[in-house]
Amino acid sequence: MNQHVTHVELHAPDDGIAPGAELLRVDDVSLSFGGVKAISDVSFNINKGEIRAIIGPNGAGKTSMLNVINGFYHPQIGTITFRGEVRRRMRPHVAASSGISRTFQNVALFKGMSTLDNIMSGRSLKMNKNFFWQMLYFGPAREEEIEHRHKVEEIIDFLEIAHIRRTPVGKLPYGLQKRVELGRALALEPDLLLLDEPMAGMNLEEKEDMSRFIIEVNQQFGTTIALIEHDMGVVMDLADRVVVLDYGKKIADGSPQEVQANQNVIDAYLGVPH
Amino acid sequence: MQELLHQIFVAPFTLIYELPDLFIQTIWEGFVAGVLYSLIALGFVLIFKASGVFNFAQGIMVVFAALAMVGLHEMGVPAWLSLILAIAIMWALAWGIERVVLRKLVNQPDAILLMATIGLTLLLKGVGETVFGGEPKSMIHTELGLPTGVTDWNAFGGLVSFQHIDVAAVVIAVLMVIGLGIFFSKTRIGRALRAVADDHQAALSVGISLNQIWVIVWFAAGVVALVTGIMWGARSEVSFALEIIALKALAVLILGGFTSIPGAIVGGLIIGIGEKVFEVYWGSIFGGGVEAWFAYVLALIFLLFRPQGLFGEKIIERV
Amino acid sequence: MFYREAGQFKTTYQADQSIFPILQDRVGLGAILLIAFVGVPLVANEFWMNSIMIPFLIWSLAAIGLNILMGYAGQLSLGTGAFMGVGAYACYKLMTIFPEVNIIIHIFISGFFAAGVGILFGLPSLRIKGLYLAITTLAAQFFLEWSFIRIPWLYNYNDSGAIDSTSPTLFGHAIDPASGDSSLRYLIILSIVVVMTWVASNVIRGRIGRSWMMIRDMDIAAELMGIKPLTAKLSAFAMSSYYCGVAGALMVFLWLGSAEVESFDINKSFQVLFMVIIGGMGSLIGCFMGAFLIFVLPIMMRALPSFLGLGINAATMEHVTSVLIGVLIIFFLIVEPHGLARLWQIAKEKLRTWPFPYGS
Repeated sequence: MNQHVTHVELHAPDDGIAPGAELLRVDDVSLSFGGVKAISDVSFNINKGEIRAIIGPNGAGKTSMLNVINGFYHPQIGTITFRGEVRRRMRPHVAASSGISRTFQNVALFKGMSTLDNIMSGRSLKMNKNFFWQMLYFGPAREEEIEHRHKVEEIIDFLEIAHIRRTPVGKLPYGLQKRVELGRALALEPDLLLLDEPMAGMNLEEKEDMSRFIIEVNQQFGTTIALIEHDMGVVMDLADRVVVLDYGKKIADGSPQEVQANQNVIDAYLGVPH
Repeated sequence: MQELLHQIFVAPFTLIYELPDLFIQTIWEGFVAGVLYSLIALGFVLIFKASGVFNFAQGIMVVFAALAMVGLHEMGVPAWLSLILAIAIMWALAWGIERVVLRKLVNQPDAILLMATIGLTLLLKGVGETVFGGEPKSMIHTELGLPTGVTDWNAFGGLVSFQHIDVAAVVIAVLMVIGLGIFFSKTRIGRALRAVADDHQAALSVGISLNQIWVIVWFAAGVVALVTGIMWGARSEVSFALEIIALKALAVLILGGFTSIPGAIVGGLIIGIGEKVFEVYWGSIFGGGVEAWFAYVLALIFLLFRPQGLFGEKIIERV
Repeated sequence: MFYREAGQFKTTYQADQSIFPILQDRVGLGAILLIAFVGVPLVANEFWMNSIMIPFLIWSLAAIGLNILMGYAGQLSLGTGAFMGVGAYACYKLMTIFPEVNIIIHIFISGFFAAGVGILFGLPSLRIKGLYLAITTLAAQFFLEWSFIRIPWLYNYNDSGAIDSTSPTLFGHAIDPASGDSSLRYLIILSIVVVMTWVASNVIRGRIGRSWMMIRDMDIAAELMGIKPLTAKLSAFAMSSYYCGVAGALMVFLWLGSAEVESFDINKSFQVLFMVIIGGMGSLIGCFMGAFLIFVLPIMMRALPSFLGLGINAATMEHVTSVLIGVLIIFFLIVEPHGLARLWQIAKEKLRTWPFPYGS
């Protein structure tokens, strides 16, 4: 690909919210499955431009919280306010089109497709040429395809995965799959990026790479990030603010230092009887 | 319009009131057909529980088992011996399927396994036709000592007739279900089977041999198929046309759930009785022949409201 | 050695994204099209046209239809036969209502009726998946089959219950399957199949095709990427049924000449399913390979005994064929779930690197 590409920076859409102002707020959210309470009465907010970590022991309701934020689960009580708009129920694809994208705890890539196609799939929302043009392919559909290919190639360059562009993702090692999944989430050019354990099962080197990508995404593209992670070292280094969940309840919220010193958090992790 | 409403809401019930014997006869016919659907569905459920395979070939196994038995008898083997040989053939089949197909396809997606059993359907059909011939055969139930004849019951000023073979079919089906129930709840193999149904890997880790369980389960399904084949063959004849009718057991599974034995039985009875009653009392509105699709359309409607089946638990999707 | 792309540099994404980026493939495709359009009509006699080439093309089209739904969108269907039937019956009605309109137009329009019915029976796919969906497509199969018998309007109240071609002509030439020129019919069908295959490949590599594959590979993630399951699944059902419908209409009006409900029974659904499995799920070229194998194998098997001089009767050979196809299906599922198409791809890889065992 030695064609000259005008360099287009990827960045979060300009939504008129100033950095540091509130982007998303979770108000008194409770979620239960049958009789099991997954989340009870949790409130916190995420500010524009920050890296917000959600931590807690296993089964604390972290992933459920992300699922609530992007509309996969519907909380029984409470509301989500995103960019000043209040909502209780929404379909996941609506969340995606309003600028929330995510990665998954267990990699949820499209196994039968190549790296390139997986990341292209993140552009689906931004492509709109109708069925007629798709049938002909030549003309608008091809122009659209190539325009988005440029963007996708930028992401591929950014994440340093050019060498696996054509490989079916099912054949990639775990660490690279995680990276491709990040690429796919970035392709949506999200306002808010939800990362569910992006470093689970990685070795030190891979963790360092991933941390670098997360920081660069946050600083260069201005993307707000909510992050679930078990590696406390990573959380303390990356996060601006941390919210701690335990048994579905919020037990602490604040800067990494504050949270680290919080007695409730220490108890939760060390397992002091309640 | 008024005519139609009358046909739907008034006429059938008037008919039921006026000819109660016809209604009872219809229910009985439907019940017997339902028992046979239940038996086929039971074979599906056994296999699905233990191996996660949606065995499309269960219907053809019914035909194949019956055909093998009748075919052997035609070749001069005594009836009782051909029954035993047919059971042996079903065991060999279970063993062969486990060896050649299941073992190679462990952990494949459901759809692949389903398609493999569709391939198996074609294979069994071809083998059955090649070895025993493709033309319909009549069942040897009299040779096997099953009763024939009719008992008429004078009721409600009419006549309800019960074919003895139908009564025998119901009795044998009930005995078989009870036998299977005891086998799976009281024996060591039964316990192993339930462990496998719950969690393959956990079962493996406590020393249960999956391969052995699969052979047993496919064999059990094969025996159920043989019994079904005998019953069904006695009511009409042994032919590959039965294969299409056996597909109705799939609809039964939707009603009953893929893993529930009571579900298979109740679902089979609902569909058997439902389609007969619908055909007799409401079929004329559609111009008849509604038995061909009633089961599937009922299943379809059911799916839209209760996808987990009658006895299934609600599925919570996780990410 | 002969099949190598050395020296073929792609300098634009456009070139990189073309269907056949490698020169040898383009030459090969050109040669095949040349043989199909010019060579075959010159060489083939009536038997070859009517018994092999024409049905092969029609079955390929139906297989493409099913493959769109099953291979690309991941929705298992056992109702292909019935959807073909909808196309055929719709075409028959259109021909009797508007006899003056060209039959080719009717054939293309009848596909839309099949698409509509496909969407209707695809609706449950929004709530149910996998095996459950396969059973609802059985509902479609049996319900439609029943409709073809019990709604006499569909076959113009014929006593026979059959639909038959009413001597269509095209540009003054008779294209009736009974009397018309088979080469002309072949060329019409070939053109339709080539164009529709090209359209299918365009849709598949674009946004819509990608949305199908996303739903197939991981529906939850697809939805979180902004795909509407409704649109993605129903568009796959619509396009798939359109192809099946056109194939059904072609089957009756440009090949068989007449058809009854048995022409669209569940065995047809299975036959197309086997073509897709053996040819390769998620591959267009596989559809042609699968259709060829499943359709031509029985014909060859029937001819085999007389060729070898053996006294085996036709019925037995038919049974042996069904054993053989059953074995092939199981074999492919175990050894190569992506079918003949994947074997072809592996062969091409080998050719690329030959004589070296590995290539870049």
